[in-house]
Amino acid sequence: MKEVMLDCYGEACPVPLVKAQNKIKELEVGDVLIVQIDHSCAMKNVPEWARKEGYNVEVEEIDDGEWEVIIEKSK
Amino acid sequence: MAREKKVEHYDVVIIGGGPAGLSAAIYTGRARLKTLLLEKSLIGGLATYTNEIANYPGFPTAPKGEAITNLMKDQAKSMGVDFKLTAVSTVDLTGEEKIVETFRNKYIAKSVIIATGGRPRTTGAENEEKYLFDKGISFCATCDAAANTDKTVVVIGSGDAAIEEGMFLTRFAKKVIVSVMHDEGIMDCNEIAKEAALANDKMEFVWNTVVSRFEGEEHLDTVVLKNIKSGEEIPVKCDNCFEFIGYLPNTELFEGQLDLTRQKYIPVNDKKETKLEGVFAIGDVTEKWLKQIATAVGDGAIAGTAAEKYIAEKEIFENKIMQSEKPGLVYVYNAIDAPSREFLGTIEKIEKEQAGAICVNRIDTYKSNGLAVMLKLDQVPAIVITREGKITEKIYTLDEAAIKKAL
Repeated sequence: MKEVMLDCYGEACPVPLVKAQNKIKELEVGDVLIVQIDHSCAMKNVPEWARKEGYNVEVEEIDDGEWEVIIEKSK
Repeated sequence: MAREKKVEHYDVVIIGGGPAGLSAAIYTGRARLKTLLLEKSLIGGLATYTNEIANYPGFPTAPKGEAITNLMKDQAKSMGVDFKLTAVSTVDLTGEEKIVETFRNKYIAKSVIIATGGRPRTTGAENEEKYLFDKGISFCATCDAAANTDKTVVVIGSGDAAIEEGMFLTRFAKKVIVSVMHDEGIMDCNEIAKEAALANDKMEFVWNTVVSRFEGEEHLDTVVLKNIKSGEEIPVKCDNCFEFIGYLPNTELFEGQLDLTRQKYIPVNDKKETKLEGVFAIGDVTEKWLKQIATAVGDGAIAGTAAEKYIAEKEIFENKIMQSEKPGLVYVYNAIDAPSREFLGTIEKIEKEQAGAICVNRIDTYKSNGLAVMLKLDQVPAIVITREGKITEKIYTLDEAAIKKAL
């Protein structure tokens, strides 16, 4: 079960979402993808997409306006 | 793979971080209640989908929704409110202890405030699922407008959100085509927005239409509209489509525990109480006439204060009124009623006569009837006798002899 960081700082929608979708394909079940974002629009579609896929999602606010979306590829 | 969930205790757990939830958090935080606010994505809720908020008092410059809700968040944080950005997976609100679970945690709260709001309604048209979010169908002009610079977009709907956000899109897109269900010239939005939209030469209207289906290879490239009068299909080439056709309440979590209206909203009373003790609901998730930031924050203030009162009364009820050391006499009265006030003298006399053998509590219901409700009284004034922490008798007449007999 590895953890992969995906740096999307400075990137606006829909780039973080597309990057996350591509990255998660490379991961195996049980792996965790951490998407780092600082564009609030990505806070809507990234967690929404991941939950729709059935993954476990949790978000940490790292700093004001900086987040880590933690996605567990649970299936 | 099931791991042990971490258990944490709170006075108040608020589900949902839109304006209603944030306002409730400010009130409970300020009342020094240990408060947790859970939000599944971005703090600010649906308000963050709006690019300009022109009618929220105190903000004459019409800032972005997010600018206003970020200030609310800062304010709640300064009151000591904890924030956690994660979705709630299950709740059990029926017991004394309210349980709210996320995928990694289990929270136990004395009171829960539901502020889960709504989500954009979708058209239900053919192939819609295939293009949601990043594949061509969006619900947030503020989020995705810049990505549509010099492109052609379709907007579905003619309410305030559709027309105002549609006009915002014209600042970026080269053309905004609006599908309106009504006859030519009729829109659901306010008159000011309508006039401005009709005068905007980047905006085009297709009247009497709804979406029939969505088409495109990987990404959406055509929205096929259908004229509801003639049945004629109108394919519209576009780069992206924005749907603004109302909202659905987020109440799936509470089904079976709370009563919902036919449209799945939560009914509440004027104190924002649901039918479950200690559970409140506020904002867009409740059945209400006007859904605005201004009304949501009002709801939050009420529920925050009501939750505070509920917790305080519950504590008095359990520790003082239902004490089990001595036989108890509880006098419940309303101070504005003169005979009830006078009877306080008789209560005092009984207390003196018993010389410490009984525990006497006086409850004035003038400001709050919460304790009378917890005692399950039919009317006030009333005298309640307890033994070993249990109610043994309720007397609804101001009769000294009857009280003495019951003791």
